[in-house]
Amino acid sequence: MIPTVAPAPADADQAGSTTAAGAPVPGAGKAVLARFSKHRLFASPGAVAGLVWLAALVIASLTAPLWLPFKTEDQDFTAVLSGPTAAHWLGTDELGRDILSRIFAAAAGTLGTSMITVIVGVGLGTILAMAAAGAGERTEAAISRITEVMMSLPGTVIILAVIGAVGTNIPMVMAILGILMSAGIYRVILGQAKSLQSQLYVDAAKVDGVGPLGISVRHVLPGLANTIVVQAALIFAVGMLIQAGLAFIGFGPPIPQPSWGGMIQGASQHVYDAPWMMVPTGAVLALTVLSANAIGNALGKAPNTAAPHLPSAAARRQRAKAVAAIASAAPAAVTQDGAAKGTLSVRNLSVGVDSTGAGSGVRLVTDVSFDVEQGTVLGLVGESGCGKTMTALSLLGLLPSGVSVTGGQILWNGRNLAATTDKAMETVRGRDIALISQEPMRALDPMFTVGYQLTATIRRLRGMGKAEAREEARNLLEKVGIVDAARILKTYPHQISGGMAQRVAIALALAGQPKLLVADEPTTALDVTVQAEILSLLRALVTDTGMSVVMVTHDLGVVADICDQVAVMYAGQVVENGRTDSILDNPRHPYTLALLAADPHANHANDMPERLATIQGQVPQPKDWPTGCRFAARCQFAGSACLEPVPLLSSGAGTGVVRCVKADQLAVEGMDWLATDVPAARAFEITPTQNPRTLQTIVEKDLA
Amino acid sequence: MALFVAKRLLMALATVLVVAVLAFLLVHAMPGSPGAVSLGAGASQDAISQLNQQLGWNDPLFTQFFRWLGDAVQGNLGNSLIDGRSVSADLASRLPVTASLAAGATILSAILGIALGVTAAVRGGLLDQAIGGFVGLLVALPAFWVGIIFVYLFAVQSSIFPATGYVPFEVSPQDWAMSLALPVITLAVGGAAFIARQTRASMLEALQQEHIRTLRATATPTWKILYVHALRYASLPIVAGIALQFIGLFGGSVIAEQLFAMPGLGQAVQSSVSTHDAPAVQGVVVIATVVVVAVNLVLELATKFLDPKLRAS
Ligand code: SF4
Repeated sequence: MIPTVAPAPADADQAGSTTAAGAPVPGAGKAVLARFSKHRLFASPGAVAGLVWLAALVIASLTAPLWLPFKTEDQDFTAVLSGPTAAHWLGTDELGRDILSRIFAAAAGTLGTSMITVIVGVGLGTILAMAAAGAGERTEAAISRITEVMMSLPGTVIILAVIGAVGTNIPMVMAILGILMSAGIYRVILGQAKSLQSQLYVDAAKVDGVGPLGISVRHVLPGLANTIVVQAALIFAVGMLIQAGLAFIGFGPPIPQPSWGGMIQGASQHVYDAPWMMVPTGAVLALTVLSANAIGNALGKAPNTAAPHLPSAAARRQRAKAVAAIASAAPAAVTQDGAAKGTLSVRNLSVGVDSTGAGSGVRLVTDVSFDVEQGTVLGLVGESGCGKTMTALSLLGLLPSGVSVTGGQILWNGRNLAATTDKAMETVRGRDIALISQEPMRALDPMFTVGYQLTATIRRLRGMGKAEAREEARNLLEKVGIVDAARILKTYPHQISGGMAQRVAIALALAGQPKLLVADEPTTALDVTVQAEILSLLRALVTDTGMSVVMVTHDLGVVADICDQVAVMYAGQVVENGRTDSILDNPRHPYTLALLAADPHANHANDMPERLATIQGQVPQPKDWPTGCRFAARCQFAGSACLEPVPLLSSGAGTGVVRCVKADQLAVEGMDWLATDVPAARAFEITPTQNPRTLQTIVEKDLA
Repeated sequence: MALFVAKRLLMALATVLVVAVLAFLLVHAMPGSPGAVSLGAGASQDAISQLNQQLGWNDPLFTQFFRWLGDAVQGNLGNSLIDGRSVSADLASRLPVTASLAAGATILSAILGIALGVTAAVRGGLLDQAIGGFVGLLVALPAFWVGIIFVYLFAVQSSIFPATGYVPFEVSPQDWAMSLALPVITLAVGGAAFIARQTRASMLEALQQEHIRTLRATATPTWKILYVHALRYASLPIVAGIALQFIGLFGGSVIAEQLFAMPGLGQAVQSSVSTHDAPAVQGVVVIATVVVVAVNLVLELATKFLDPKLRAS
């Protein structure tokens, strides 16, 4: 077969290349490419072997006249159709010609003419893609149309008609093949070219008066370099196969000049009397194609693809083993104090990246403990990167692939969910503990109607019949405040608004009448008015059903609105935990203080400050967590005592706890998180030698 | 949706028309006038020009094209310059051969490819790597070479299947199937590999979607998440991949027909191009395009129908 005149499919590897070179440093593209390619090419043994083979083939072929034992046309009538012998290492053909000599003699021509297809196809495809990306929607639509037409043509038949017109002029035929293949390359490159074109620095260059051509060449092309090389390698392989295919059906170089396809054609005539003949040429051709593909795939390999939400069977087996290990490590640790009905007790929970794969062993959550009583709402608060979502997902056993609980317990009705297998968790999920997430649109399956998703879930979780479940679905939608439930049931998720979708997602979570709802930033993606509606819906549900909620949020307004308890998290730890009113009115940890100072809505206790504080700097990456207080680098009150590990101690307000060496002192002195620069007096104790991280200052920000 | 279908139909028509023009021009660029081709090497110059005149070769290209087009829409693609047979009739007898081949190979590729791709994505680990390596190997193997090996194994070593030839369905359904077996398997090797890659990538992408987590959070059984929800999500790109594959296989049948001596369209292209039989080349290019464009259109509409977003709008 002549392979399809379209490039390889949007293979995972290839698709990944789009992200691989997604955001290049302008102008530094070449250096980036060189570093990238070196790195990834040599990481793949297949690609290294491929490079070596291709190089060897080219050198051997170009120097062929110097070393080949026979001329390509030499006929040895004493050894016609022979297998491998001492004289003819790879045997001979029907005219007694040496197969080894002919294979290598043909190699340079095959590789060279395939390069014509690569240059024409990849060149044209790239130019078209850059033109389409740069010239606006109408041009893009026009070019895309044309390429669509090109891709829906029977390319092989057209190539043959071309051969009819121009004869077996191989360079010409390979160039036309390149034109036909450029359509597929265009499609692969277009998306990436568009995303590069929309980068901020491209806009900046436009403002600076750089013309469209300049932008394409200087800013877009470097970013495409990796994808272009990947495509080139893959097209090279396809070109070789097609060329050999053409030679096979008699449209190769003129006889008696050797070509791989022609030699295989010759071999096919002797499959009865000399089957060996087809082996060497075919193997060399396959090996060469394999080499080019290996190089392309190695370069195109996505460095880190997103983790699947349902791990593969192999990954699930691995996780089951890890769970078993946890279960056997702490078999009898189930304590009675968490056994009360509907109570969640998280004890010393740690979550980390699995030891296999990238970032192995990185801790994401360390030693987190909290309780949620039945019918209450706990807020998990903190900036992103503090481990809130990981903590929340671990409650359902839904941590992403490659991340798992590494220690501690999640006690639900006295049962340790951290030591429960995925299979067994199916009895807990939906029925006991349910999840609603940040992006309602993405949380619903776009391929099925709201009605199908709801009824299927109700039937599964409640064992209802079809009609009954349908009825219940309507009830649920009405319960979450959807008036025209009958209509919504018939819609697909993309047909409803975000707020509506979140109501549907809540209805879906309620389908199994859960006792605990885990809500991961349920209002963040919504409009402000819709946020308030969803919050009051959740509040009403808590009152009506008596379920409890773990609410992940970065918004202290949400906390004030709905939470009974708050656990403030920072860099994978709980830094303060207690009743909402006491924490909001009387924060003890500097981080809580800072969050409050930075939140315009949460300053309900004080008068609105003139200036709103921000917390300078960022949550440190897990690998940068210090042994001492993890907030020290950003804390206005940091001192030398803060460089030692800080335990969680009672805050003095009920069961509240706080993780700060200065908590008591700060409470006594009634210090505030300042919206101005850090006064020197506060920073006195830390010197650069003690803490390499410079003490960040607090930037003022006008409320206006 | 109706508008969409109408647009696509127009596009398809335009595609065929463009190819018709292209084929017409290519044929006219062929070396040798039709008279020379038809009368052979020994003919006198007078006889050649007389025949050329008779065939309308000297008319303006424009006139010639529309004459051809007018005949073509009535089902007359002219007569072969070599043996004078009606091109339409010849192609009509060849079409079922190539259609059986391409359809068979596409279906087999789809079944094997989807099975392999889904298994690789779902099972992961070593099996995924093994399938990945195997598929990578299949992609690199030239189909004609694979075909010869199959002939050697299944026709020469053990005569399970006939090595060459085609038996029409009407003559004997069983022999028809047997005669198709080797060429179909040969073509399906590369096709299956292509679809396996597409399927694996699409399944992995589907499993990265957040709604998969919602399904798990509502205790959906794993098999249902994989084979109802994820596969449904992945079905769009998979079907698009199959459509692309059909185009490739339809053209690729040239080689299988040559190797297995099957009287299909591919063989017709090959021989008519070799003999410079202009009407035959032109006819077969257009017919092949019509078939490919039509099948592609149907599959494209199928993908759109699979997508609720497009179906609703
Ligand atoms: S322990 Fe020190 S650095 Fe950490 S929050 Fe308290 S005062 Fe700040």
